[in-house]
Amino acid sequence: MIARIARKEMTEMLRDGRFRWTATMIAILLIGALTTGVTHYRRTAAERDAAKRSARTHWLTQAPKNAHSAAHYGVYAFKPAMSLSLVDEGVDRYVGVFAWLEAHKQNDFKYRPAQDATVIERFAAWTAANVLQVLVPLVIIMATFPAFAGEREQGTLRQLLATGVRPRILFLGKAAGVSLALGILIAPAAAVGVMALVMASSNTTLGDTWLRGSILTLVYLAYFTGFLAVGLTVSALARSARLSLILLLAFWATNAFVAPRAAVDLARRAHPAPSALAFNLNMERELTTTGEGVSGKALEDSVLRAHGVSTLDSLPFNFAGLSLQRGEEQGYRVFDKRYGELAATFAAQDRLSQRLGAFAPLLATRALSMGLAGTDYEQHHHFAEAAEMYRRGLVKTMNDAVRDYQRGGEVIAVSSDSTLWAKVPTFDYDAPALGIVMGRYLWAFAVLILWLVGSLALVATVARHVSASTLAEGVRP
Amino acid sequence: MTTSSVPRGLQPPQPMVVARALTKRYGFATALDELDLAIYPGEVFCLLGANGAGKTTTINLFLNFITPTSGTACIDGLDVVTHSLATKHTVAFIPEQVTLYRNLTGLENLEYFASLATGQRFTRDQLLAHLGDAGLAVDAASRRVSTYSKGMRQKVGIAMALAKNAKALLLDEPTSGLDPKASNEFSELLGLMRTRGAAILMATHDLFRAKESGTRVGIMKHGRLVRTLETADIGHADLERLYLEHMRS
Repeated sequence: MIARIARKEMTEMLRDGRFRWTATMIAILLIGALTTGVTHYRRTAAERDAAKRSARTHWLTQAPKNAHSAAHYGVYAFKPAMSLSLVDEGVDRYVGVFAWLEAHKQNDFKYRPAQDATVIERFAAWTAANVLQVLVPLVIIMATFPAFAGEREQGTLRQLLATGVRPRILFLGKAAGVSLALGILIAPAAAVGVMALVMASSNTTLGDTWLRGSILTLVYLAYFTGFLAVGLTVSALARSARLSLILLLAFWATNAFVAPRAAVDLARRAHPAPSALAFNLNMERELTTTGEGVSGKALEDSVLRAHGVSTLDSLPFNFAGLSLQRGEEQGYRVFDKRYGELAATFAAQDRLSQRLGAFAPLLATRALSMGLAGTDYEQHHHFAEAAEMYRRGLVKTMNDAVRDYQRGGEVIAVSSDSTLWAKVPTFDYDAPALGIVMGRYLWAFAVLILWLVGSLALVATVARHVSASTLAEGVRP
Repeated sequence: MTTSSVPRGLQPPQPMVVARALTKRYGFATALDELDLAIYPGEVFCLLGANGAGKTTTINLFLNFITPTSGTACIDGLDVVTHSLATKHTVAFIPEQVTLYRNLTGLENLEYFASLATGQRFTRDQLLAHLGDAGLAVDAASRRVSTYSKGMRQKVGIAMALAKNAKALLLDEPTSGLDPKASNEFSELLGLMRTRGAAILMATHDLFRAKESGTRVGIMKHGRLVRTLETADIGHADLERLYLEHMRS
């Protein structure tokens, strides 16, 4: 019986020109976004590998020079992209995917396409995640709003109820029918997605990609199922198809556009972060003030006293190297404190946003999607920290080389060669494991499960208790 | 069609469609006032009356689309309120407009409604046979319903009742808006259903059709059944005169 109803719903929907057009367009958008995603992913991955190799070669083959100058010569650190990032670009577009590491500077991120994008491009950048989070719910609404309300208006609902079919069976049949039709619509895109992921993954990462991909699929299925349940409920109770459509569209727009905006504002109000300008100015001021006392005359005096000598030239090492490293380390304290605060603020904003997902499932879904794709802010931060640790090691190696190269106080003009350069290891970054990422998104998981269970409970309650007469008429306001 | 109702001796003891003091009030307005009615298998009972006389309310009560304020409505011995689904399996409903799914063919519509109503599967030949009995041509059966005339839709409605093998038929002005030929065909179909032993309750404005197809007529006014007549006992002109008398009084 359920299968019979599902088949009829599907046949009707597939024969409906409007649904066919919408569905085709969504499928094209989704496949287009995935194709662009995979092209972009492969190109940047290739560029990244090439740049990584050439940057390393440049570092190793640089001419003999003062080791501290070499620290200023700098290296690039690249954030490896997970293959799922072709589904969800996350914050990469805004925070960049590689860091320029050189002495005295932290967190200098490059490649932020959003920075160079025109206004049009910002809207045109539809990733697969956007389509899944915003457009697919719209199609579900378009498919469910007339499920009962439309039949009520046509008059077929009375005819249907006069056959003695149970409302519960009708609900199940309609849900199955809409799901099947949507399945047909999404299937080609899903196939393209799986192919793209397999192509983008190396043998070593394929297992991880499957696991993350499967969880991501479940996340989106839960998100969609909720819309299906809400759509059917509203359609069953709204008196007219028009009312049903208006109510569902209002919910869709709130979820897709109002809630993300409001969540950002609320999170900012609850946990304000300084502007980039203010942050940098403060940092600079603090670096200058704390820098006093550990460099220049005071440091010089204390070092001379400690070694019981009266001039820098009598020291058993090069003072400049020591001084440079002390200066760096002094800066680290300020960097760690300030960047730590900033990261804590962003993390707090993020947690609040996840919880607000209780009101708009998009927020929870988006957080999980970015997290699983490795493109959320937390994972960007993790990379930035790893890059910073690498930078510190590099700078220390160089400064120590200056310190040990020659005794005395002058900075030496020419010193080191490739044996020193090779002492700096390559930057190999390991992204946080899946378990750690999932642990960070417990709120989002909880909220999404709440959305799924809540919406299913709602539709089940209505389906079980609605009488044929209520269903025939709709609920009077 | 002028023969009187089936002799009492051949009828099963149970009437198929029964109303006892059936009443529906909306606030102070009484849509149906203590209706008593019993329709036996093989009978066509026509409810006559102006708009708002309570004809459609009666049918909606039997379908349990609305809940009675007091009194009971039974089909095949079962109360329609307490046995809402079971009674619907016995009865077929044909409204003024048989509404069908525009994007499905007549055959698909019939298959859908008939399988939901009976829980059975039907072969294409069985369905075409029902449509044929209802007077719908085979080539029309596989066209989409959006191209159908009103008469063709009514025929699909009848085919549904045939496929369902309904013991009771509830018809709400099924012939209004049909051209005379289609209306006549419809009456013949009612005759077919009647000979198969269905009890038929039909609300109509059409005195001529009531006299032609009905075995009994009931005249309703302001929610009350004011007069019941055997159609065999009365000519068309007399029926019209009686009806108008009741309307004017």
